[in-house]
Amino acid sequence: MIDLENISFDHCIKCTVCTIYCPVARVTHHFPGPKQSGPDTERLRIKNPELLDDSLRYCTNCKRCEIACPSNVKIADIIQSSKWKYFKKKFRIRDYFLSHTDLMGSVAVNYATLVNFFTGLPPVKFLLDAVFLIPSKRTFPKYARGTFRKWFRKYAQKKQAAFGTRVTYFHGCFVNYNDHSLGKDLVTVLNAMNIGVDITRERCCGVPLIANGYIGKARKNARYNIASLQKAVVDPGSRIVTTSSSCAFALKYEYANLLEMDNSSIFNQLNYITRFIYDQFQAGNAPPMKPVTIRAAYHSPCHLERMGGVIHTIDVLRRVPGLELQILHSECCGIAGTYGFKKEYYDVSQKVGGALFKRIERVRPDFVITDCETCKWQIEMSTPYKVLHPVNILARAFER
Amino acid sequence: MKRIETDVIIIGGGATGCGTLRDLALRGIKAVLIEKNDIASGTTGRNHGLLHSGARYAVNDLESAMECIAENRILKKIARHCIEDTGGLFVTLPEDDPGYHQKLVEHCRYARIDCEEISIGKALRIEPNLNPAALSALRVPDGTIDPFRLVSSNVLDAQERGARIFTHTFVTAVIQEGSRVTGVRCHDTGTREDFEVYGQVVINASGVWGQRICALAGVELKMFPSKGAMVIIDYRINNVVVNRCRVPSDGDIIVPGDTVSLIGTTSKKIDYSQIEELSIDDSEIEVLLADGEKLIPNISRTRVLRAYSGVRPLIAVSGDVDGREISRGIVLIDHAARDGVEGFITIAGGKLMTYRLMAQMTTDLACKKLDSSRKCSTHREPLPGSELKSMPGKHIKFFSGIPQSVVGSTLYRHGERVRQILSLSKRNYALICECEMVCEGEVEYAIRHLNVKDLVDLRRRTRIGMGPCQGELCSYRAAGLFARLNVATSAESNGMLVDFLEERWKGMKPILWGDGLREAEFTHWIYQGLFGLGDVNLPGEEESL
Amino acid sequence: MNYDCLIVGGGFSGLTCGIRCQGAGLSTAIISAGMSALHFSSGSIDLVGYDHERKIVYRPFEYLEKFTGAAPDHPYAHCGVETVRESLFFLKDVLAAEEMEIHNNGDENHFHVTGMGTLKPTFFSQRSVFNSAISQAFARKAKIAVLNFEGYRDFYPELAITNLLNNSLFRDVEISTGKLVFPDYGDPQKNPFEYRSIDVARIFDTIQYLDEIAEQIKREAGDAEFVAMPAFIGIQNYKKHHQILQMLTGKLIYEIPALPPSILGMRLDDALKSRFAELGGVLIAGDMVKGGDFRGGLLDHVHTQNYGTARLRAKAFVLSTGSFFSGGLVSDARGIREPIFDLRVSATSPRSTWHSPQFLDRKGHPFLEFGVETNGRLNPLDAGGNPVENIFCTGALLPHYNPIREGSGGGVAVATGFHAANQIIKACG
Ligand SMILES: Cc1cc2nc3c(=O)[nH]c(=O)nc-3n(C[C@H](O)[C@H](O)[C@H](O)COP(=O)(O)OP(=O)(O)OC[C@H]3O[C@@H](n4cnc5c(N)ncnc54)[C@H](O)[C@@H]3O)c2cc1C
Ligand SMILES: Cc1cc2nc3c(=O)[nH]c(=O)nc-3n(C[C@H](O)[C@H](O)[C@H](O)COP(=O)(O)OP(=O)(O)OC[C@H]3O[C@@H](n4cnc5c(N)ncnc54)[C@H](O)[C@@H]3O)c2cc1C
Ligand code: SF4
Ligand code: SF4
Repeated sequence: MIDLENISFDHCIKCTVCTIYCPVARVTHHFPGPKQSGPDTERLRIKNPELLDDSLRYCTNCKRCEIACPSNVKIADIIQSSKWKYFKKKFRIRDYFLSHTDLMGSVAVNYATLVNFFTGLPPVKFLLDAVFLIPSKRTFPKYARGTFRKWFRKYAQKKQAAFGTRVTYFHGCFVNYNDHSLGKDLVTVLNAMNIGVDITRERCCGVPLIANGYIGKARKNARYNIASLQKAVVDPGSRIVTTSSSCAFALKYEYANLLEMDNSSIFNQLNYITRFIYDQFQAGNAPPMKPVTIRAAYHSPCHLERMGGVIHTIDVLRRVPGLELQILHSECCGIAGTYGFKKEYYDVSQKVGGALFKRIERVRPDFVITDCETCKWQIEMSTPYKVLHPVNILARAFER
Repeated sequence: MKRIETDVIIIGGGATGCGTLRDLALRGIKAVLIEKNDIASGTTGRNHGLLHSGARYAVNDLESAMECIAENRILKKIARHCIEDTGGLFVTLPEDDPGYHQKLVEHCRYARIDCEEISIGKALRIEPNLNPAALSALRVPDGTIDPFRLVSSNVLDAQERGARIFTHTFVTAVIQEGSRVTGVRCHDTGTREDFEVYGQVVINASGVWGQRICALAGVELKMFPSKGAMVIIDYRINNVVVNRCRVPSDGDIIVPGDTVSLIGTTSKKIDYSQIEELSIDDSEIEVLLADGEKLIPNISRTRVLRAYSGVRPLIAVSGDVDGREISRGIVLIDHAARDGVEGFITIAGGKLMTYRLMAQMTTDLACKKLDSSRKCSTHREPLPGSELKSMPGKHIKFFSGIPQSVVGSTLYRHGERVRQILSLSKRNYALICECEMVCEGEVEYAIRHLNVKDLVDLRRRTRIGMGPCQGELCSYRAAGLFARLNVATSAESNGMLVDFLEERWKGMKPILWGDGLREAEFTHWIYQGLFGLGDVNLPGEEESL
Repeated sequence: MNYDCLIVGGGFSGLTCGIRCQGAGLSTAIISAGMSALHFSSGSIDLVGYDHERKIVYRPFEYLEKFTGAAPDHPYAHCGVETVRESLFFLKDVLAAEEMEIHNNGDENHFHVTGMGTLKPTFFSQRSVFNSAISQAFARKAKIAVLNFEGYRDFYPELAITNLLNNSLFRDVEISTGKLVFPDYGDPQKNPFEYRSIDVARIFDTIQYLDEIAEQIKREAGDAEFVAMPAFIGIQNYKKHHQILQMLTGKLIYEIPALPPSILGMRLDDALKSRFAELGGVLIAGDMVKGGDFRGGLLDHVHTQNYGTARLRAKAFVLSTGSFFSGGLVSDARGIREPIFDLRVSATSPRSTWHSPQFLDRKGHPFLEFGVETNGRLNPLDAGGNPVENIFCTGALLPHYNPIREGSGGGVAVATGFHAANQIIKACG
């Protein structure tokens, strides 16, 4: 059967530009690059799905190829959808755990200390490596105790009613299970800007599910999220923000392009946080900030690049007094969500990130700043530097 | 002048001629084939590639229909790697006469063509891109046939059994002794040498050019050429052959051919003097695309790769005029009986897919003239590459390390011969044509074993330059390989490159818009802007750098 | 989002315009949907190489003085020859600021060798393609060795040499060939036979392989004083590493542009983008301008694929969206259009008049001369035929010139980008 939803491969003029910019093709010849994996072989897969190359699995879905393509070919989308359309599904416990972040998170947060302790133990790491094919060299993100939602309900929710303008916050799994501080900082920042924060019902945005081929589940989550968020934005003036560039990317682009869901009802009102703050600053809502005296290197995540959101983050950060910002050459960190957690891709993942890590070391910053949680893990694991989110910085600047 | 002796001489390297060469070889008869251009460069390489079930002819031409279904079954056994058993649909659109459906069912039954009435829902499951407004659907055992592979494997088998073939060689005269044809005079366009071939029987299998060959032998045979145009779209938009269920007319078949789909055809009488330079009018293209779109609406959103046309060699047996009305029946003429010229046979008409039958009939007649009693075995003997039912999985495992898409594509093109083509050396499987996955090993194999003399020949054997980029990257690479493999001089390679790009251009010109135009602009930039290929013969400039 | 100048299309023309505007203090943004034609170009900048009979032009400025008088619609005529000259030397300075050396032969064209061994007249070239040492070596008829990596599929020295030797300039020159072997990467996964120029360039970028490559070059080149290789000698560290190689081998090392991607062109692209960023310009990559709204005959704002309903405002807009290839013009079976604003285009009809009968036709193809009709200020015309005074069209989007036949692609891109910038600076200042 031929599914003709994404026929953008038809526009490819074989210019090879995408392959120049693919960070994976650059480091391993196991991956022949976006041109060959995307438009070239998609034509063949349409003819006969048996012509599917295993090498497709190497694509990290970083979308850098799409940014480079002069023909508007949705190369990465073609590759992702081929992965789940044509690969026979093999159930892998590891992939299941890695991708069902909300399920894992909701269990782990109750035993956070234990889980963190165990996943850090060498024998456990060895086991993970041998049995689950999760590389032992990889450090696991720590789980927080309790969820962000609990904290929010208990300590923050009541105060929000006082604000005339409020936005809905899609916090995502990372804030909910791993790092409450980012969510807390967001409340601080928006409150300082005289904006209240609401949360609504949400499920994992689906990024890890998509990457691991759980498309059915991803669609289900997408449907749930669209329905829930839609309610929050009936009023055309209302806004939804996320602090995860990947969640924002999924909600805005992957839902429509890859999962073929209609998200037009939320598309224009949902944005990654720095875009929202940028607009507020532009409109004059820019409360005074105090200097922060930080030397930081900024790394732009691939998906934010794809959304064109990097300019907003940079602009917002540049307004923070005392922040000495070094913009790193735009490069993929290599983790690509759950990709770097898999043994078979670990080396590739680290090689892809190699250039970035070197650049960071050359800058020797106090901190690295980036918008994406998985980039954060990767950089923290591979360099000695701590990684902050732009909102963490703003929170410091706005703190009273 | 060089002189070659043989038993049988065949003029024309289309399916008919090459099929006859193989049949003769299988019967142990010495034969030489002369082709003025490349094998399958005539009508054989310029048709729709439909392995008819016969259903299309069932209503109007029962004899053809029955020939088709018989050959259809044979080819599915002996030419596995050249055909695809896709199945076909006949669909009735709202504007079509609904009565034709029933008529077709009845005639098919009579001709013993399996013809199953299926629901529209089922038809859409089989062919998701079909126009959902269709009223009714029939399923028939249509398939597709790749003429290039078919002809090439016939020749390969014949050569391996001792037959000889001269491509890029014109027959310029038919040599006669009294009322007997004894040989032909040939001109090799590569070496520019003339030579003669002598034999007891000369077979004129030169298709639409047959009238001229007959004239060379002093025999009159009138042919009415009828031109048919087709367009190729970028990818395989349908998986089964889709026919319009109506009295055969323009633009009513869409055939999936390897990685692409072909919409066809039109039918237009042309003057015999025009058979060399076929042009395609914008109006023909519009008709094809408009009608194609009715069957498969997505066609309007798809890039058109090329347009081309072929000429049907219709022989004036009856005084007919319109190309489609008369039977495309097989015409076998023993000129001894018809015109009193001994040792000369003309075979023409028929179809690509009846080539084997035509070859058998011709060889039988030739055998009679040679007093040979050897029987035909082409209906049993699989073609080289088709010996076994190919199991891609097996080969993909065997060649693990080479991308599946490369192994699969090579296997698809060469069948079991893939084992002689691919090897695990990195050099071997480096891609030359990235659209159709043609690797260096396949290029080398084709050049060394498949009578390839230039880039256009290479394209017919491998599909190089036949994908969406129409030769943008691969033509330079392949031209370079000719020089690197020492089968052509650098100057010859340069010339081939120019010829190849011009040959590709012919098919692109009529459909030059959209992404095709973008592609052409890019390719023109590379070859003219970047390489200055058009200036290659410029005399040197005087001033210094 | 608000800018003084918003440029749609980040190719050669858009970048030149952006650097000029940002450099003059205007807040400038460039939105570009994908990588530009620079990634395929020879990396030499052609001003005008051939006259209307396709005879070689040796003194381009002199030629243009006469030519523009006779061709008032030609983009060079809109700019004026003085501006053309100014723009080119502006560009040379811009690239110098990025430590990229560009060489010209005074006011005259020079030749560079193509991948097919033909010679092309051009105005500016990179150091590894043209400099005084190279032209002296040519004049001396120094012995040349054309070297290539064994099995590299994107360059065939045999083909080039045959054509070179056919050229009277090279008649008595001794040309040899030689094969290099890729240095051992320690990476058995790689298939060197599938390397593209970019992969090789990355090898040359890595200092540790240079010694080995230099040894091979010395061995293979023998006593040739001049070594030509496909253009892949580094992309990030090309300048330094090219010099090191010359030093290690004691030979002049020349680069020949080969199949895309073009390393020489990408170096230009890198340098221009980096200059623009250093000046503080904003480059929004991977987004496509979809349309815009007009107010009082002027373009008020544009919107893009990624930013949805957000409006991007500017005082002046530049359209440098290229030709068909880059999507600045689109065509279907019926006609040609400018897709963003549906501006008036200059094109012929019917479709059969868009192309020439031969692919390598010496007259070139008419479709290359199609584009958006403008006045002398490069303002396009709206549906009513009135100029839109705050839009400027530049580069390959413009009609009435044939970049390939004239050998004028890069020059027109630079000159018109510069000409537009000058007017914008005047208007905003
Ligand atoms: C538009 C169209 C669509 C068709 N679709 C189908 C289809 O879907 N299915 C199907 O089965 N059939 C189809 N056919 C019919 C089929 O293509 C032909 O019947 C078949 O290819 C004829 O083959 P041939 O070998 O007889 O002739 P040709 O292929 O024409 O071979 C004759 C050869 O003789 C050579 N020759 C000529 N003069 C000389 C000379 N002086 N010296 C040496 N060589 C010479 C020519 O170069 C040529 O290669 C179609 C035909 C047309 C026109
Ligand atoms: C293969 C090749 C070889 C060449 N060789 C040479 C040479 O040797 N010497 C020479 O001088 N010149 C050469 N040129 C020509 C020269 O590079 C071009 O003429 C020149 O670069 C044109 O520049 P441009 O900026 O006008 O357009 P382009 O480079 O085509 O750039 C247009 C940009 O606009 C973007 N764009 C289009 N539509 C939109 C939209 N709606 N929204 C956002 N962005 C959009 C495109 O993605 C693209 O990045 C060559 C060109 C090609 C293609
Ligand atoms: S998405 Fe990233 S990894 Fe995948 S093909 Fe594109 S550039 Fe390469
Ligand atoms: S960049 Fe786009 S057009 Fe070029 S090869 Fe890749 S997919 Fe095709």
